Amino acid sequence: MGTIRVRFITVALVVSFFAVGMAAFLNYFKYKSTIGGIVKSRVLVVGRSIENSIQASLALGLQFTELATLPSQMEREKASDKLIQGIDVFDDTGQIIYSTDPARVGQRVQRSWTEAAARSKTTEWTGEGVEDYVAGISLKNNFDLTVGYLALRYSRDYVDRAASAAARQIMLAALGAFAGIALIAPLALIVVIRRFERDLQTLETAAVHLEDKGEQPALTGSAFDSIIDHLRASLRDANAALDDLRAKLDSTA
Amino acid sequence: MLEKNYLWRIYWQLAGVIMVCVVIALAVVSYFSHRVFDQELVPETEAKAATEGSSLRALVLKATSYGIPFANLYGVDKTFEEMFGENPEFSYAGITNTEGTLLYQYGREPQGALVHFHSPALLAAMRDSTVPWQVALVGTQYIVSMPIISKGTPLGVLHIGIDSVFVDRVLLEVMLDVLVVLVVSLFFTLELLNFMAGARLASGLGEFGQQVERMRNGDFTATARMRANDEIGRLLRRIDAAVDHLNVRYEFLAGEVQDKMRAANAAGREALRPAAAALEGIGKRFKFGSAQHSGATSDEMNLNRIRAPLFAFIIAEELTRSYLPTYVNQLLVNVPGVSPQVVIGLPIMLFMLIVALGQPYLGAWSERVGRRKAMLIGAAIATVGFLATALAYNLYDLLVWRSLCALGYAMVFVAAQGYVLDRTGQTNRAQGFALFIGAIMVATVCGPSIGGILADNLGFRMAFGVSAVMSFLSILAILRLPVNDVRPPQARPARPPRLREVMALIVNRRFMTLTGLAAMPAKIILTGVCFYLVPLYIVSLGNTSAMAGRMLMVYAVMMVMIVPLSARLSDASLRRDRYVSVGLIISGLSGLLLLLSDSILVLFGVVFLLGLGQALSIAAQSALVAEHCQEEIRVYGNDAVYGVYRLLERLGNALGPLMASLLVVFWGYQGAFVALSALVLFCGIAFTIATRGEQWQGEPVHP
Repeated sequence: MGTIRVRFITVALVVSFFAVGMAAFLNYFKYKSTIGGIVKSRVLVVGRSIENSIQASLALGLQFTELATLPSQMEREKASDKLIQGIDVFDDTGQIIYSTDPARVGQRVQRSWTEAAARSKTTEWTGEGVEDYVAGISLKNNFDLTVGYLALRYSRDYVDRAASAAARQIMLAALGAFAGIALIAPLALIVVIRRFERDLQTLETAAVHLEDKGEQPALTGSAFDSIIDHLRASLRDANAALDDLRAKLDSTA
Repeated sequence: MLEKNYLWRIYWQLAGVIMVCVVIALAVVSYFSHRVFDQELVPETEAKAATEGSSLRALVLKATSYGIPFANLYGVDKTFEEMFGENPEFSYAGITNTEGTLLYQYGREPQGALVHFHSPALLAAMRDSTVPWQVALVGTQYIVSMPIISKGTPLGVLHIGIDSVFVDRVLLEVMLDVLVVLVVSLFFTLELLNFMAGARLASGLGEFGQQVERMRNGDFTATARMRANDEIGRLLRRIDAAVDHLNVRYEFLAGEVQDKMRAANAAGREALRPAAAALEGIGKRFKFGSAQHSGATSDEMNLNRIRAPLFAFIIAEELTRSYLPTYVNQLLVNVPGVSPQVVIGLPIMLFMLIVALGQPYLGAWSERVGRRKAMLIGAAIATVGFLATALAYNLYDLLVWRSLCALGYAMVFVAAQGYVLDRTGQTNRAQGFALFIGAIMVATVCGPSIGGILADNLGFRMAFGVSAVMSFLSILAILRLPVNDVRPPQARPARPPRLREVMALIVNRRFMTLTGLAAMPAKIILTGVCFYLVPLYIVSLGNTSAMAGRMLMVYAVMMVMIVPLSARLSDASLRRDRYVSVGLIISGLSGLLLLLSDSILVLFGVVFLLGLGQALSIAAQSALVAEHCQEEIRVYGNDAVYGVYRLLERLGNALGPLMASLLVVFWGYQGAFVALSALVLFCGIAFTIATRGEQWQGEPVHP
């Protein structure tokens, strides 16, 4: 196979790899963000219910630190969706005040959570723990002042497993598509390149026979015909002049 | 000789075939991805609907526990509406009683819903408190049904409908990105064809053509060059061999004539006279021997070789265009006394300022150290800059890292420009710069759109990491450039414009009509709108960086398509000033569209018109300098006039983000679009009036 053909086929394979790779990449990340969004909003539904309850208590004049019924409600809500691994309520310093995991009460949440909550332009925010994702809600009182934060920790494994299952399928589809292209593209390219290769072949044949004394190969109507003609004419003229010189020299012998 | 567009015709045919293959592959990937989305997302959305339903059901049960009759609940519609607001994939919600009679509903009722609600199997299942929920496809919706049971007594059924085409809606965004990938792939294909095959092929065929032309003119001097081991290389070796044989034959015959002349007596010399005359004739008609060393091989003179490193480097920067302001927004720190909007524009402004002020000096520097070395240093500095930007802690260090990127950008840009200048003369300079600008334009088409996609999916920092990788790849491509510089012997050393020249030209009416009313406003609106306003405004509307990238792609595609056409037409018509006027006025009208609406479609129109306007005026602008500033060029020299022109034009680049950010502070995004456009419209009208007089038309210089 000619080196030019190899190069053109390589280009086709590189471009196809880029396009298929990008398409697979886009689909995977879209899937990951969509499934992440669906799961997050599912978890936030539970969170909204707790938020409503807290806000109702605050509206009745209860202090944020004195919501006695909140832990049991948090337990109930956690049990309503097995995806949720734990629910924490913390104040603006990041100290956990209520939690479904009693050992966590009094501890501080990761700084990234409070930063994410502060950065968010809405009441919802997201964060990441070591083994879980976090969907959060900023808790506001009647005066629209943030009194604390609600964090719902849910299984990272669940989302990651769903994403990797989709990744596998998308990857298989992409590999299949690329394999198909790797078969089809060279064949299709060969058809297109054939004329160019024929032209080059004509040129090469003409070049091989450039110094032949006899009949030169006929021109085939290629794009290089005129250039071959000029080439032959130039060499013919030069050789003719040298032949003439040779003849003149020979005639003196 | 060889038809001029022969290779490009082949490239386009190849690109067409590759594109068909790519489209088929993308269709396959998209089809299977759609299936994956359908299989996986629908159950997940059903689970979400069930959770939403549980919450809603709890509300209903709370209301009934207060004694409100199940059939007379108040505000159910409102609750449904709120639920729909938070869950756009839900298209229907309803509550039936235990007989299946509809009591409340909201949204689009699917066909066959009533039959489904009355289905005995469903009603039976919904009396069982152990059944959490059931799903059925009704019409075009997946209906999630869940029982409402109070203290063991069934009250009714809650139904939530999920539109089955919601997956299509989710995938629409992906489809737009895939379309972007397709366009980028087309340009990428042409670039790769040129890089991997075309550059060598074109140079080989070009050399072959030159060789044949030399032989036609009787020049059979032998060139001792290394030939590539490919079809063209083999061909050239054959011709080299034929030429070598001719040379050997000539040498032998010439030697024989001389030997015989030396050895011959008077009669013999007389007999040899025809041969000597023939030899003399051959000497006059043909040229044999070794070719004089031109100082540069054709490979060293090959302009195409600059294209790949330049493309790889420029795309590294272009990748950041669609998301840089949003990234800066994330790292924003409170700068006392400065509005955050202005602070966001600072890195772009600083970048443009460094490029504007650095380029005149870096031109002379790159000439001194060598173009290749200057590009290597520039690309290395930029790579460090991109990497550090990816790891930036806050705005302050980001400004330092972006300055490194700007310095590297200016070095590479100027050195690459110098590479082209060194290898071109009067006859092929335009062709050389077309190649240079071509690489930049393709990078501007591919960069922002892909950058936006990367930023959306991988995050800003990783996207900057990709820029660093591209910049590093450009170093590898630069290393392949010829080590030896090629400088035309008559070339004068480059120098930055002197302060005296700058001062004299900025008070020159004719020069400033072109620069102040056309070149600078064009750049102000370009950087102000495309690099600052569009990315921020699109994100502020709730869209993604990928959408900003798509918008910027529209601008770049307009430039790629229209600039060659407008350059040809304006050159042919010799009314370049009219093209500049029309271009400026169209650019000036673009932002005014936002007075009609703030929709994304209108923004598309803004970018489209801006691209059209800029494309019409950009090629004619710099040509007008040579056309109408002959006197200034005579006095100060071509380098000084163009140096000051470029300097002021690039200062316009730096002013754009600053002006746009100040306008945003006072009038918001839409106001800033409108005000910047109005400024350019005013300049366009003023330019049109200023260039109408006889004085302006006085002495046009024909190219």
